[in-house]
Amino acid sequence: MRRPSLELVGLLLLLLPASLRAQVDAGALAERFTRMTAVSGFERAALDSVQALLPGARRDRAGDVVLERGSGAATLIVCPFDEAGYVVGGIRDDGWLTLRRVGRAPNALFDQYHEGQRIMLWGRHGALPGVIAVHSTHLQRGRGGNEAPFNVDDAFVDIGASSGVEARAAGAGLLSPVAREKQPFRYGDGLLAGPDAGRRGACAALVAAAATAGAPSGGRLVVAVAVEQELGQRGLRTLAHNAGPFSRTIIVDGTAGAAGSIAVRADTVATRVLPELGQVARWGLTSRNTGTPVETVSLTDIEALRVRLVAEMGGGR
Amino acid sequence: MNVRIACCVLGVACAVAAPVAAQRPVTAPGATVSEAQQVVSKLVESYGVSGTEGPVRDAVRSLLPAWAHPVTDSAGNLWLTVGSGAPKVVFLAHLDEIGFAVTAIRDDGTLKLRARGGFIPSLFEAQPALVHTGTSDIPAVFLPRDSVGRNPSRGPGAIRADPGTGSMAATEALGIRVGSTLTMPKSYARLLGTRATGRSFDDRVGSAALILAVRHIDPRSVRHAVAFVWTTREEIGLEGAAVVADSLKDGPAVVLAIDTFVSSDSPLEITTFADAPVGRGPVARAVDNSSVTPPALVDSLVATARRAGIPFQVGATNGGNDGSTFAAYGVPDAAMGWPLRYSHSPAEVIDLKDLVGLAGMVGAVARSW
Repeated sequence: MRRPSLELVGLLLLLLPASLRAQVDAGALAERFTRMTAVSGFERAALDSVQALLPGARRDRAGDVVLERGSGAATLIVCPFDEAGYVVGGIRDDGWLTLRRVGRAPNALFDQYHEGQRIMLWGRHGALPGVIAVHSTHLQRGRGGNEAPFNVDDAFVDIGASSGVEARAAGAGLLSPVAREKQPFRYGDGLLAGPDAGRRGACAALVAAAATAGAPSGGRLVVAVAVEQELGQRGLRTLAHNAGPFSRTIIVDGTAGAAGSIAVRADTVATRVLPELGQVARWGLTSRNTGTPVETVSLTDIEALRVRLVAEMGGGR
Repeated sequence: MNVRIACCVLGVACAVAAPVAAQRPVTAPGATVSEAQQVVSKLVESYGVSGTEGPVRDAVRSLLPAWAHPVTDSAGNLWLTVGSGAPKVVFLAHLDEIGFAVTAIRDDGTLKLRARGGFIPSLFEAQPALVHTGTSDIPAVFLPRDSVGRNPSRGPGAIRADPGTGSMAATEALGIRVGSTLTMPKSYARLLGTRATGRSFDDRVGSAALILAVRHIDPRSVRHAVAFVWTTREEIGLEGAAVVADSLKDGPAVVLAIDTFVSSDSPLEITTFADAPVGRGPVARAVDNSSVTPPALVDSLVATARRAGIPFQVGATNGGNDGSTFAAYGVPDAAMGWPLRYSHSPAEVIDLKDLVGLAGMVGAVARSW
């Protein structure tokens, strides 16, 4: 029998529902998720895309994507999707925009990693490219240097507007979300790099697992992608109160650590603070360069996490 | 127009006088914003750290008109001479960009680096990287510092890169060697209006201005031979231009470095000088760290711009320029540029109208000086 051509295989893959294509490559899904922007509190558009990958999923009142199967004692497996970012805090008459940070910055250099870099502003009419202004190298000669790290208060966003009127006409407005332009990339020996690659890789493993897992062998399974983890955990709290109580919860997220294993630990604080979650465990997709624009995860680890989650959910179809 | 040179003796400033009454018309159909974008975007998206400008030189060649047959000298400078005889007017724009070079490969496969050119190092910390081996571009990362803490300093210390291989042997198997260069991945992007952003506008915009001028010049119309030279290794000490100067010596009447006018047009900058806003036209780079344009030449540039209908600014900024390498031979440097925001960063911003105007000025000077 002749082997199918690559072209035919590719065509068949394209014809598959998006949800089933996800099982083909959790790494590709991780790259896709890492390319998305979901500033805490502004996750809706990104999670619309995630929901489309999970037929039968609904949105709760917080905006979490929720997929339920089975009945009885409930297990929650959840991944947060949001990221720390910014919103437009002010629009100057000269066209530059100022910022306010939203969400918990992962480290003290989070703002500085954005200085002099490309950003995207999500305005009324869609995405606008821009940059965060930085001192011109040449003009600093002979002047005293500032040794303090760059801070959001120093940030001026340049979208090419000559005036505040022009900026507003282009769709920029107060509270428009602003985040780094996302260009995740693969490098080295099976590595994926990009902002929040750990968190997004973990969600990719969870979504890929949920798309292909069979019915739970017993009890009710709730799979969720949560909002505002970096802003008071509103998504997780809503799940706890409205979809729970749960006998146990697994929070799947990125975490700093060496590649090659899934970091598993009990979260007794979450168990105590949100008793509706039951016994809480954290499964961490380990990353290096964590909390930076080049946070790096192993594609092998993403697949290993997916396999482990499928088993946790009751096995594949 | 007769170009008369007043010789410099005992410190008297040299000047090239351009009597207005004898000057020829300088207007000619010029580049559009669309054409300017097409040229500069291609140049911006080619890579060439100082000393490895080959890809950029190739891009310049590909953008020149069919009648142009440039030659490359021993320093890698690309020359195009229009007209016959020794060039009296010389334009210089540099091909290279800032970046890093590999100085050592560690046992874990990571790379020790040294800077090529001047820039703020923290802009590269924990950012995507590309290693240019000469045969391929390999994705990597510029590593963050080992620990951040609660009160970090701005500076990251020595920057290293990681191609993600885990071992020296695996890194070398990718073709990475001591001397390989590194930059950040870059792309050209249009902003609102006619503004644009991209890394290495310094000096791809200057290179583009020369290309656009050449495209719109009739080589038979120049009164004297004019040389358009795309130089190498400007960012590490004007090295390519020094070879050009040694070649031409005191032959030219004037040299015009076409390079960035670093502008203070930003809320972050002090505007006591370099106050040339983007979008208001090219700039006579009359004073910088390496040269002072003779006032008569500044006046000539202003007059040329006025006759050509090109909005034109005059200012002082910082930085050196290729034209200053001719100082030893007494050739005056009438450097021109365009207003650039956020110089030597991944976020450089220009106005394409300024590039169009700069190309127009290059063409006008080439035809009429």
